[in-house]
Amino acid sequence: MQVTLAIKRFNPESDKPQPHYEEFTVDVEEHFTVLDSLIKVREEVDESLALRCSCRASICGSCAMRVEGHATLACKTKLISVMDGQSKVRIEPMTNQPVIKDLVVDMKPFWDKIRDVEPWLQPQEPEPEDEYIAPNEAMIHLTGVMGCIMCGACVSDCTVLEVDPNFLGPAALAKAYRFVGDPRDDADKHRLKELSKYTGIWDCTRCYECVEVCPKGVAPMDRIMALRDRAIAAGFDGNYGARHTEAFSDLVEHSGWLDELRMIPKTFGMFNPLSLGPLLGMIPIGLRALRRRKLPPIRHKSIPGVKNVRRIFKKVEARK
Amino acid sequence: MAVYEHDVLVVGAGLAGMRATIAADAGGANVAMITKVHPVRSHSNAAQGGINAALTSRGDDWDDHALATVKGSDYLGDQDAIEVMCSEAGDTLIELEHMGVIFNRDEEGHLGTRRFGGQEVARTFFVADITGQALLQVLYEQIVKSQARIYEEWFVTSLVMVDGQCRGVVALELMTGQLHLIKSKAVILATGGSGRVYEPSTNGLIVTGEGMAMAYRAGAALMDMEMVQYHPTTLKGNGILMTEAARGEGAYLLNSEGDRFMEKYAPNMMELASRDVVSRAVQTEINEGRGVDGCVLLDLRHLGRELIETKLSYINEVALDFVNVNLADQPVPIRPGCHYIMGGIKTDVNGATTIPGLYAAGECANVSVHGGNRLGANSLLDTIVFGRRSGHTAATYAAEAGEKAISESVINADRDFIKLLMSREPGNDSWAKIRRDMGDTMNEHVAVFRNEDGMQTAVKAILQLKERFAQLAVRDNSQVFNTSLLFTMELGFMLDVAETICVSALARKESRGAHYRTDIPERDDENWMRHILVHASPEGPSIDYLPVVITRWQPQARSY
Amino acid sequence: MKYAFFPGCVSRGGCPELYPAVLKVCERLDIELEEMYGASCTGSGILQEKNEFLGDTLNARTFAMAEQMGLPIMTICSTCQGVMSQANKRLRDDPAHLAEVNETLKEEGLEYRGTAEIKHIMWIMVEDIGIEELKKKFVRALPDLKLAPFYGCYIVRPSWALEFDSHPGRERSLEALIEAVGATVVDFSGKTRCCGFPILTINEKNSLAMVANHTSEAQSLGADAMVTPCPLCHLNLDSFQPKAASQNGIRIHMPILHLPQLVGLALGFSPKEMGLGRHIVSPRRIEEKVAEAAKV
Repeated sequence: MQVTLAIKRFNPESDKPQPHYEEFTVDVEEHFTVLDSLIKVREEVDESLALRCSCRASICGSCAMRVEGHATLACKTKLISVMDGQSKVRIEPMTNQPVIKDLVVDMKPFWDKIRDVEPWLQPQEPEPEDEYIAPNEAMIHLTGVMGCIMCGACVSDCTVLEVDPNFLGPAALAKAYRFVGDPRDDADKHRLKELSKYTGIWDCTRCYECVEVCPKGVAPMDRIMALRDRAIAAGFDGNYGARHTEAFSDLVEHSGWLDELRMIPKTFGMFNPLSLGPLLGMIPIGLRALRRRKLPPIRHKSIPGVKNVRRIFKKVEARK
Repeated sequence: MAVYEHDVLVVGAGLAGMRATIAADAGGANVAMITKVHPVRSHSNAAQGGINAALTSRGDDWDDHALATVKGSDYLGDQDAIEVMCSEAGDTLIELEHMGVIFNRDEEGHLGTRRFGGQEVARTFFVADITGQALLQVLYEQIVKSQARIYEEWFVTSLVMVDGQCRGVVALELMTGQLHLIKSKAVILATGGSGRVYEPSTNGLIVTGEGMAMAYRAGAALMDMEMVQYHPTTLKGNGILMTEAARGEGAYLLNSEGDRFMEKYAPNMMELASRDVVSRAVQTEINEGRGVDGCVLLDLRHLGRELIETKLSYINEVALDFVNVNLADQPVPIRPGCHYIMGGIKTDVNGATTIPGLYAAGECANVSVHGGNRLGANSLLDTIVFGRRSGHTAATYAAEAGEKAISESVINADRDFIKLLMSREPGNDSWAKIRRDMGDTMNEHVAVFRNEDGMQTAVKAILQLKERFAQLAVRDNSQVFNTSLLFTMELGFMLDVAETICVSALARKESRGAHYRTDIPERDDENWMRHILVHASPEGPSIDYLPVVITRWQPQARSY
Repeated sequence: MKYAFFPGCVSRGGCPELYPAVLKVCERLDIELEEMYGASCTGSGILQEKNEFLGDTLNARTFAMAEQMGLPIMTICSTCQGVMSQANKRLRDDPAHLAEVNETLKEEGLEYRGTAEIKHIMWIMVEDIGIEELKKKFVRALPDLKLAPFYGCYIVRPSWALEFDSHPGRERSLEALIEAVGATVVDFSGKTRCCGFPILTINEKNSLAMVANHTSEAQSLGADAMVTPCPLCHLNLDSFQPKAASQNGIRIHMPILHLPQLVGLALGFSPKEMGLGRHIVSPRRIEEKVAEAAKV
C-alpha cells in the first residue's frame, strides 16, 4: 500500500528558516510502523531528513514525535493505526521543546528539569552491608515509574508547559516520585517541600494529556497526584494547591456537593494577608457575574441524605 | 578553536561507559564522557533479563558461576578474567542496589532471583524484564550527581595517537557539524557492540562498532571476532529480542509438531542450555522443515497472565505491538538473530588494551570472559565490573602520564575525509544500500552455521563493499544534525569490523561456541585452545594467536 | 427515552444558566429525566487525588441509586462524565475493589452491581437519538455560525475510561452536533486541551494564559463562538476571559456557548430562553445571527 507522509520540516541553515510541511509518498507494508516509513524516506528518498531513532522497540526513547497531532514513539505506532482510512499521515516534531532540525528537538530543558529534582537515591546512612530490605510490592510499583524511557512525549503534549516553560513537567515529576516512592530514600521531606513550590506538583491541571500519550504506561499525572497526597500528609499543606484540595474535600463532605461561593475564600484563606491580592482580584469578576446573575446560589442547600456522604467520608478516611 | 582537555575521556555512555566515568571521577580524575546519543538512549537499555552474581552471603558459590561461564564459553574464555568477574559479582550487585536499582525482591524483601541459561543455580538478579534500562537509569542518576561533563551527541571519528600513546580523540559535534580535538591522557572506549554489521539484529541502529574499528585502525588488537552470538529467541519480522528470562521463568520452545524439541539437543537443561546450543537447535528445526513460517514458537501460556504481566511485561508489550500476540493467550513466533559479539578489543582485566593510554570496557572489549559464547545475564555484569576497573585504572594511569604536545593538525585527516565525502558526485549508491548488503552478507554466510565457501564468499563481498564505500558520496551538505554524514562514517567503521569478523572466522578451523562450521563440526582442543588476534596492516587484516588462560578447569566435553 | 439526571455542581452553581436550558432542551427532545437529588459530587478528580477509594465509593453510591431507579445516568459536564466513567471502569474491572466499596455502601442499604451506564447528554444526542432524528426536530438551521468545538479534558482523556472503541464516532460527537445544526466547524489546536480551570485558584496566571490562548486562537480562525459540553470550561473561558485578555495584553471577544444552548437554539428556543444573557462575554453576535436565521 501507499502512504503519504506530511512531515513538518525545518532547516536552520536555509536562507530564511521556516517550518514547512513536505509530503513524501512511499510504498509501505501493512505491518510498517511510522518509524519504518520514515527510515524508508531517509534511506531511499531524502537523506537529509533528520530524526533520532535507535532501538525500534520502544525502549531507547529516541523517536518521540507528534503523529496526527499527538506525541508518540514512532517505532511503537503502526501506520495503519493512525491512517484512519486516509492515506496521509501528519508527522511533526515534539512541541514544548525547541526544534533543531526537522523532527529533532533540543531536549536540554527536559534534562535540566530532571536534574532539578535531584534524581539520585538519598538513602539512610550508614549503608547496610548487604542489600536494603524492601518489600517486593514497592519495587514492582516503582518498576512502573522506572519504565519511563525519558522520551519526552509527555512534556511535548503537556498543557501547562505550553503556557509556562518553568513548570517542572510530567517527566521530572514522575522521576521525583520514583524517589519519594522508594522505601530506601530518606529525603522525602526535603523533596516534597521543594516539589510543593510554584512550578511543582500543584501546577498540574490534571488534564490527562501525559497519561494519554505516555508510550510506557508510566501515567505521570497519577504520580503527580500521589505526590500531592504525600505532600499534604507530610505537612506541606499551606500552599494554595493543598488548601484547594482540602477546601474542596471539606465542602463536599459538608453538603454533598460543591459550594463554589465558599471555595475561593476557603482556598485563599479569608484572614490570610498574603491572599488579599488574589481575593481582591476576584472582585471585578464577582461583580460582573453578579450583574449577569451568573453566580451560585447564596444559600447552598445540602443534598438529601447528606449524612450518608459524611459517613462515607469518615469511614473511608479512617480506613486510610 | 576551543580546547578541551581531560585526564580521562570515556567514549560511550552505556553501562560500561557510565560505570567507568563514575570510577574515574571517584579516583580524582578530571573525567568526561563523550557519546553520540544521550546516555539513556544507549543500547544497554535493551538488556532485559538480568545480571548474574553469586552472593556468597547467602551461600552461593562464585566458583560455580565461574565454571558455568567457562563451560558456556566453550573453554575459550580466559579463566583468570572469569575468576575476577565472578568473584567481584556479589559486591558489584550490592553496589548497584545501594545506588538505587529497584531489583525485584523475594517475599522477605531480599533480592530475588530467576534462572538463566547455562546455569543450574538461580543467580540472575533482575528488574522485571527491563533490567538494562533500570540499571542505565540509575547509573545516569549517579552521573548527574557526579556532575561529570558529558559531550552529548558528539561522534568520535578517530583516536589521537602521539608517540604510540593514545592522547585523545577527534569528534564531530552533531549539533553544529564542527570537528573538535579533545585531549585526554587516557581514553576508555565503551562504545558497545557491532550488531548492526548484521541484518537483521536485535541491536539498535546505533550499534555500529566504531570503537572496535577505531582501536583497530590505531593499531590495537581485536580478539576472537569470529565469536558472534545469535540469540535463540528474536521476534519474527523485525527481530526484536524476546528475553531469555521467558525461558528462565519456564517458557517452552515448540516446533511445528508441538514438540519441546530441546529434548533432543539438551536433555538436561532443555530450553535453558547455553545460547549457542539453543540457537543451533532452533535453526536446525527450521532448516529441517519443523518450523512455522521460518520460525519456531516460544510458548509462555502456562506461566499465567499475572507472571507475564509483572515479570515479563515489556516483551508482552513488544509482542502485542509488533506481532499482535498476547503472550498469555498465544505462543509467539521467534527465530535466532544476531545479538552480541563476544569478540572485541583485546584488554587485560583492568581494561588496558595493547596501546598505552587506551582502555576498553563492555561489549566493545574482549577481556575475555565470554570466550566462544556468552551466558545470558553475564553481559551486564561484564559492563559494570570491567567498566569500574578500567575507570579506576585509567585514572591512576592518567595521574602519572605527564603532558605531551598535541598539534591541532591531528584533526585534518578527518576534516579532509568529511570534505571528500561531501564533495563527491552522488551516484546511485547510498550508505543505506551498502549497509544492507553488508548485513545480508554477514547474516547469510557468517551466522549460526558457517562453512569455508560461505565465509570466503563473505570476505570477497565485504571487500567489494569497501570498494563501493570508497566511491560513496554524502548527499546532504548541511552542518546541523547531518545524519547522512554520521551514518556514512559509521558505515566505514562497520565494514572494518565485518572484515575482521570474516577473516577471524576463516582462520578458526574448528567448531567452538558460536563459531560452528558444518564442514568442521568438531571442537579441536589440541590445536585451538587459542584466541585469534587480528591487527590492521597495510596488506589488510593480519592474524595472530594467543593461548587461552587456564587456571583450574580443563576442557571437557560440553553437553547440557 | 428516560435517564437518571445527574446535573453536577456547576450547572446549578457558577453556570446557573445551564441547568434550566438542559431541562428545556430535553423536554423538546422527548428525553424524560428523573433527577438524582440524593447523588453527591463526583469528586471532580480533586477528591481522587487525595483518596481514590473515597471517590470511587461516592460514585458507586450514585451508580447504585441509578440501578435502583433502573435508568442510565445522564451527565451534562465533561468532568462529571470522565470522573464517573473512570470510577465505573475501576469498579467493574476489579471485583475485589467493588466488594470493598459495597461494604461501605451497605449501611445505607445500597449495593452497586456494576451495571450502571453513564452518558453525557452530548453522547445521548449523537448515539441514542442519532443525528438524523435530531435534525428532524430542529426548526432552524444556523448556517452563518462558525463554531469552535472545545471538549474539556475528561470527555476525551484518559481513553481507557471512555469506551471510544465500542462507540465509533464518539470522539467526534461535538463536531457532529455543530454540523447538525448547520453551522461550520472551526477546527483548532485547543479543541481537546485544558481550559485551565482546575488551577484557577492555584496558579491563576497559567490558568488565564490557557484561556487567552484558546479564545484568541478561535478568534483568529474566525470563530463566532466556542461550544463546550463542559460547564467548568465555560466558567473559565467565559467568566475569566476579560481578565485573561488583560493579563496577556490582547483583545478578545469570544462568546462561549454550552452545547445544550446551541442545540436549544436550533430547536427554536430564543437566546433568552437558553440563558445566553447570563454569559459574561456577550453573545450578541450569536443572538443576531440566530435572529437572522429565524427570519428565513
